[in-house]
Amino acid sequence: MSELRQIAFYGKGGIGKSTTSQNTLAAMCHYYGKKILIVGCDPKADSTRLILHEKAQSTIMQLASEAGTVEDLELEDVCKPGAGEFNPEDEEITEGYIMCTESGGPEPGVGCAGRGVITAINFLEEEGAYDDELDFVSYDVLGDVVCGGFAMPIREGKAQEIYIVMSGEMMAMYAANNISKGILKYANTGGVRLAGLICNARMTDKEYDLSKNLAEQIGTQMIHFVPRSNHVQRAELRRMTVVEFAPSSDQAMEYKELARKIIANDLKVIPNPLEMDDLETLLMEFGLEEEVEADAIGKRAEEA
Amino acid sequence: MFVCGYHFPASEGNNISFDKVIEKVEEGVDATGKTVTLTSETREGAQLETLEVPAGTFAHTAFVDYYTNVDVEGDFKMVYYTNKYQISEISKSVDGAATKDLCRKLDDMNLYRVKVS
Repeated sequence: MSELRQIAFYGKGGIGKSTTSQNTLAAMCHYYGKKILIVGCDPKADSTRLILHEKAQSTIMQLASEAGTVEDLELEDVCKPGAGEFNPEDEEITEGYIMCTESGGPEPGVGCAGRGVITAINFLEEEGAYDDELDFVSYDVLGDVVCGGFAMPIREGKAQEIYIVMSGEMMAMYAANNISKGILKYANTGGVRLAGLICNARMTDKEYDLSKNLAEQIGTQMIHFVPRSNHVQRAELRRMTVVEFAPSSDQAMEYKELARKIIANDLKVIPNPLEMDDLETLLMEFGLEEEVEADAIGKRAEEA
Repeated sequence: MFVCGYHFPASEGNNISFDKVIEKVEEGVDATGKTVTLTSETREGAQLETLEVPAGTFAHTAFVDYYTNVDVEGDFKMVYYTNKYQISEISKSVDGAATKDLCRKLDDMNLYRVKVS
């Protein structure tokens, strides 16, 4: 039995984190027989829907609120086996399986969502969800790490290797750099490391070069470039991963290759985040932003 | 670190020299006398063109190596986007004019498939 690896997927909201993470984890299970626990750390609770073939799973915080307190819950209440081939009892396609849980959070605008993450992870640990059979625990974490609560898997040393899902767009790269700053902050106390950038491509010009250069400058690798494909949307509409929906499609092969790399990856670094000026220089170098003369700052298009 | 599908240990850092990659790619494959054909297609699957990779270049060896070792089914095997960009990047540096036009194409957003005969 191999040692349990605790990984996390971070990235800007809307970048395709949950889609990328679920498809990649599905590939790790389907093609490589890995046993995985997904801990969704997003109040939207959409980190496991493609694995469960459900709209959204009942969250730990939701169930705790119904039951009274989190202590009133049993592990079976909150931790569900994946559907079809991801169910531990179905060994026809793979010996691997995926268990799913979602931390959930408060209603929008009320309370601290990060606290839900903290409560959920502590509950799962105490109830023995991280059992010896598992190969991977994967945290899927909301958006940026501006809120300290969402950095909890990093802060508390739960997630050891972080994959940042990004694209060649400015805000995605800004968020990737910001998340690197969060990792750097806790790298020495918690042992967390940056394991790579995953480019969930928007198919914009020079996207590979831009992503690769950002990765190099931060001190990590761009581990895989995932192209855009209609198969992803088609599978999502059926609440499935591409790996199940079209296992021999080109897109499933891309996720398979990313899964292979994550399983074999040993490049885990303390990142070296860029200063804002350096990030802007990088964007200009690859043509995403035109360099602007100092006297044009703040001027309207017709004035410049 | 992964380049052209090969794993380079973490001790080698995050910037692997082209020489090391070329050595690895050439290690287990004999590309002599082989013809490498690429096809390109749009995301929607419309086929665009057929290209031949010039023999004696790194790109030629790298595609033979890819075709031989990749775990993808088919007569024409799809090329991972990551790999086509990496092959292009190295080829631009070491093959010069011989693959200039090919690399310009490989840098686009289209899907490529490879066949070695």
